[in-house]
Amino acid sequence: MKSKKFLSLIIGLVVLVFMAACGDDADGSGGSGDDQEVTIGTLADITGATGDTGTPYSEGQDHFFEYLESTGGIDGLDITHLSEDYAYEISDAQRIYQQYRDRDGVSAILGWGTGDTEALRQQVASDQIPFMSASYSENLKDLDESPYNFFVAASYSDQGRMVLEWIKDNHEGGDPTVALLYNDTGFGRSPIDDIKDYAEEIGVEIVDEQIIDLAATDAQSQLLNMEEHDPDYGIIQQTWAATTTILRDADTLDIDTQFIGLNQAVGEGLIDQAGDLSEGFMGVLTHALPYEDVPGMDEYIEYLDSQDMTVDDINMQHVAGWVVAKVMVEGVKNAADSTDGEITGEDVLAGLEAIEDLDLGGLAAPVTFTDELHAGTEEIRLGIVEDGQWKAITDYDSYR
Amino acid sequence: MDFFLQILVTGIVVGSIYGLVALGFVLIYRSSDVLNLANGEFVLIGGYVCLTIMTASNLPFIVALLITLVISVLLGFSVERLVIRPLKNAPVISIIMATIGLASLLGGLVHMVWGHRTRTFPQVFPSEPIHFGGLIITPVYLWSFITVLVLLVTFTLFFKFSKMGIAMRAVADDAKAAMSMGISVKNVLAVTWAIAAVVAAIGGTLLGMINGVGPIMATIGLTVLPVVILGGLDSIGGAIIGGFLIGIIQNLAGGYLDPMVGGGLKEVVPFIIVLLILLLKPYGLFGKGGAERV
Amino acid sequence: MKSILGKNLGNYRTSYRADMALLNSRNKKIGMVILLLVIFLLPMFASNYFIGLMTLCIISSIGAIGLNILTGFTGQISIGVGAFLGVGGYASAILTTSMGYSFWIALPLAGIITAIIGGLFGIPSLRLKGLYLAIATLAAQFVILFIIRRWVSLTNGTSGMVLQRPTIGDFALSSNTSYYYLSAIAFLLSAFYAINLVRSRTGRAFFAVRDRDMAAQIMGINLFKYKVMAFAISSFFIGIAGSLLAHYTMIVSPEFYEINVSIQYLAMILIGGLGSVFGSILGAFFITLLPVVLNIIVGSLSGILTDLSHILSAFEEFVFGAVIILFLIFEPGGLAHMWSNTVNYFKKWPFSY
Repeated sequence: MKSKKFLSLIIGLVVLVFMAACGDDADGSGGSGDDQEVTIGTLADITGATGDTGTPYSEGQDHFFEYLESTGGIDGLDITHLSEDYAYEISDAQRIYQQYRDRDGVSAILGWGTGDTEALRQQVASDQIPFMSASYSENLKDLDESPYNFFVAASYSDQGRMVLEWIKDNHEGGDPTVALLYNDTGFGRSPIDDIKDYAEEIGVEIVDEQIIDLAATDAQSQLLNMEEHDPDYGIIQQTWAATTTILRDADTLDIDTQFIGLNQAVGEGLIDQAGDLSEGFMGVLTHALPYEDVPGMDEYIEYLDSQDMTVDDINMQHVAGWVVAKVMVEGVKNAADSTDGEITGEDVLAGLEAIEDLDLGGLAAPVTFTDELHAGTEEIRLGIVEDGQWKAITDYDSYR
Repeated sequence: MDFFLQILVTGIVVGSIYGLVALGFVLIYRSSDVLNLANGEFVLIGGYVCLTIMTASNLPFIVALLITLVISVLLGFSVERLVIRPLKNAPVISIIMATIGLASLLGGLVHMVWGHRTRTFPQVFPSEPIHFGGLIITPVYLWSFITVLVLLVTFTLFFKFSKMGIAMRAVADDAKAAMSMGISVKNVLAVTWAIAAVVAAIGGTLLGMINGVGPIMATIGLTVLPVVILGGLDSIGGAIIGGFLIGIIQNLAGGYLDPMVGGGLKEVVPFIIVLLILLLKPYGLFGKGGAERV
Repeated sequence: MKSILGKNLGNYRTSYRADMALLNSRNKKIGMVILLLVIFLLPMFASNYFIGLMTLCIISSIGAIGLNILTGFTGQISIGVGAFLGVGGYASAILTTSMGYSFWIALPLAGIITAIIGGLFGIPSLRLKGLYLAIATLAAQFVILFIIRRWVSLTNGTSGMVLQRPTIGDFALSSNTSYYYLSAIAFLLSAFYAINLVRSRTGRAFFAVRDRDMAAQIMGINLFKYKVMAFAISSFFIGIAGSLLAHYTMIVSPEFYEINVSIQYLAMILIGGLGSVFGSILGAFFITLLPVVLNIIVGSLSGILTDLSHILSAFEEFVFGAVIILFLIFEPGGLAHMWSNTVNYFKKWPFSY
């Protein structure tokens, strides 16, 4: 009978769960020699809604840890790096987080987007596990609310402020007018109020706001509404897909607004998706582009060579992943220096907060954390797409 | 440029894609009372297959599309045979769940085969917008509009005159009676699923040309549910008119109401319409009143 | 007649009381005691990680029991569970964080608020059946989430709200184990209530509505009352689960309650067994643990197939879908049915056929 086979299959699976789930609490203190051990877990989005940018980001991290290992690692420190795909599903993020915390005993986590960062920020605080993510949301700067969250680049709000600053300084003829285009999620709305406040402060007029869904296939009604106010600039807080939609429909409707994307709208993927439409599109560059000749790129290229890869195989998201791993390892190094015992999450927190003006060789703006500020920098560059390639047009700079 | 007219035209062309995808729902529902919630994944697979053939082999678009349609026929057949047929006497919830399971299974499969990246189609239609007086239309949308009209005529003729079409209507009317008249219900259902998969693949190809092919495309499956509810689950004309209506209402709401409420209404309005329609006229504007009611 | 193993094979009850008893045999009583012991002593033996997983399973079980009351008992399909979990979670967040009530008041209130809103969305069920009701609840899912996103003054919009773990006196339930006990108690109460519901007049009315609403009405069952009641009771449990989950993760945001959550809960009751309390629990455990198991399997295969771990989530999605379809085709009664088949086999052994 077929259902009997099915039954035994199910029973087999259940037995397997219990065998595997029982009694493997990780403390794993039986390591080699006198090395201090530390485990870092990555929450990656590879197959989820933000997989197109999440995959290179997590690969960049893998690259860095592999590179570190290939160069012999760090003296007296045994770093284990775990990575798991949570597919941008909160329930999976929760489960993997529990696994990292309770089974693998991680001392720090490299997270990814707004989804996992927001979902876990209370828990990492109460469990005292530093959590460094690519969600550059300004409200994570509030250390009363999220004392264990870190990010290495400028927050979306700071990016927006810098863009406004640039508009004010570079606009020719009359007072510039700006529209904001974003989506109705925590990620999309994150910088909006701050941008509006800052615009008022420096006297740039925000004439319109439009909400465009992350998965939108058309944005014509929004753009037509925007066009009623005829803004000179449009600041886009979206991912590549929606940005492409905006650029295409703006082209269709002959709208001559200069669009400027914050960092999630920027990257090589946008050029792939939007093609010619991306020409002249401006955006925030938080990290170096792989083809840029900066000193920090040398070790990355060294690693790529060993893997038979070239800079053409990677993009800015890889670099971002590489950088975040590098900064994290720096914090762990500091933690290891300060203690001889087990490196706890608190040690890593202190280690990260001890990072001052960490030079990343041009891969990103120098990073500083203190016990009052967990946003690594306020500096960004602005770039523009020319001949199918991003080109930086400013140097690292902050709005202040 | 006239604001209202441009919004109206945008609504119509966007609505034509909705109508096209909705057609897939309706075809299946008519003949087997199954709401195929995996329709979005059918669309996705269609888009991916066509794109892969085009980029891998440099075949002209029409040839690639034809090959895609053949593959879709196979997909439709196998889904019907492996999933739907074994459940033919199961309760509604089982069948809804089976199509949800199917959606998950196909979605996972697509991820495993094509990965996560959004891919773009090679240029098929010119990207230069077409101007009609003051109105502007993107060529792809125009083509999808034409495709929808062609399909509408084709299916009307098909159901009226062809033997298979008449058999399908008979099965939709009363499967047992049809069976007793010597119609092979099994075959009719298999062909229905194949046709639905073909329609979805055409939708996927057109949609892929507009926004690139990526996993996010499958959400169109849920987006067009309001269309079929509005038009009536069993009405082909209803699906297409419903598509246009939803497209227009959505864009009108986006154009006129969004500025008032602070945006975001465009995506929710269709579902508010669903709630209203279900309360007032559950079988939709053009449905045959077959909705189950107490 | 007794089997070789000394079990009664027939029905030997002599009073209605005995027939209605919850634990109607010695074995069931022993089984119950063992089950309770296992639940309460588990933290002493199992690892912290395992307790955390169990907590997730138990909270899902409460929600699954709720959904099963609606869908399995009463036959009303709902694809809106995710949003109702959200209502429960947000109710709890607003009550505790914004209004300063204690968790112990907020938890039942969250259940009641969700029940009221669930009841409201249940009203259309009088006119809608089957597929159409499913779509109405799907629409409810989108509309409720839209309201949560937009009612910023109440819900803090898309940025979500922060909650605290409950406290007893000065003791905060911040550890895995303490929260596990809290959830376990809520879970046992829910399961007990649901099992009792089956035996009650209301439960029988639900079944009658499910099996043939027309006939039920002719027998004098007030359809409107019982359908709305089913929505309300079901939503109460879902609200409780939502509240527990919110205090567990200590945060709520609209992204927690998307459509895929609704689908997961539907899968739980289908795989567990429609109309079975025990099945809801089995299903909740199954669906919650499925990714863990797959992870282990893929992990153990990674020596052979190195690339598999990269597509693990996609593989998970694939297996999730496949499992649903296989169950529907081969075992529509779900895990609960498999279990009772297995039990019966041994009970009657060697006379089973």
